[in-house]
Amino acid sequence: MAKRKSLIKIKPKKYKVGDIVKVDFIVIHPMDTGMRKDKKTGKIIPAHYINDVQFFYNDQLVTKMVVWESVSTNPYFSINMKITEPGKIKVVYKDNQGEVNEKTKKVKPKKG
Amino acid sequence: MERRGFLKGLAGACALTAVGAPTLSLGAEKPKSPNEISYEKALEVITNGKGAKDSDKVHLVVPEIAENGAVVPVKVTVNHPMEPNNYVKSIHILSTKNSNARCADIFLTPANGKAYFATRVKLGGTQEVVAVAELTDGTFIKAHKSVKVTIGGCG
Repeated sequence: MAKRKSLIKIKPKKYKVGDIVKVDFIVIHPMDTGMRKDKKTGKIIPAHYINDVQFFYNDQLVTKMVVWESVSTNPYFSINMKITEPGKIKVVYKDNQGEVNEKTKKVKPKKG
Repeated sequence: MERRGFLKGLAGACALTAVGAPTLSLGAEKPKSPNEISYEKALEVITNGKGAKDSDKVHLVVPEIAENGAVVPVKVTVNHPMEPNNYVKSIHILSTKNSNARCADIFLTPANGKAYFATRVKLGGTQEVVAVAELTDGTFIKAHKSVKVTIGGCG
């Protein structure tokens, strides 16, 4: 199973308990639609795209996404999340060829 | 007689290859999407046949002209409270002319705090991007904007 590079960013960088922050998730993935041909061999590249993304905050499901092949290469997803306590954000993503990967990021709200 | 029959057969074979070859190459040029669905059908499946109303509550931000159809940023915000019993259940992003009209379906919970979603999509040509939002009372609202694509993103 290929190991994929992914990134979770929380914006803004400084946040407090009770703030609504933006959570960006980016993953390096080809997102092949199954409609494109390899220019060298002329064969159709089989469909290979992320079809399921789940955002967890302290093991509680916050957002679930069903993604189709029309999302761009190296997909970027951004949602809002309400910070209630320190902990971690976990993103689990699956693709149509059965790859399952996850990425976590610690949540450290500033005091005061 | 033998010679005549042979020639007939040859002519037939030639005609077959001549007819067969272009259709084959056409088939290879336009492979079908495995999840092909039209925009009208997709909207019907999402809303259970109820249809969606245009509303000012849904703010859809897309570029008017996209130079590269492979990367079109899409941003959606829904001005609706996110309370435990009254929130935006889901946001669906659709395109009107892509072979698979569905781009992404997002299922939100009150823990999101605000109904917001952003991503980047591929568009095969000049068309409209539609954002449909489902509220907890079962109504669907939508917003649409057209995007002019100079280079398609699916080829």
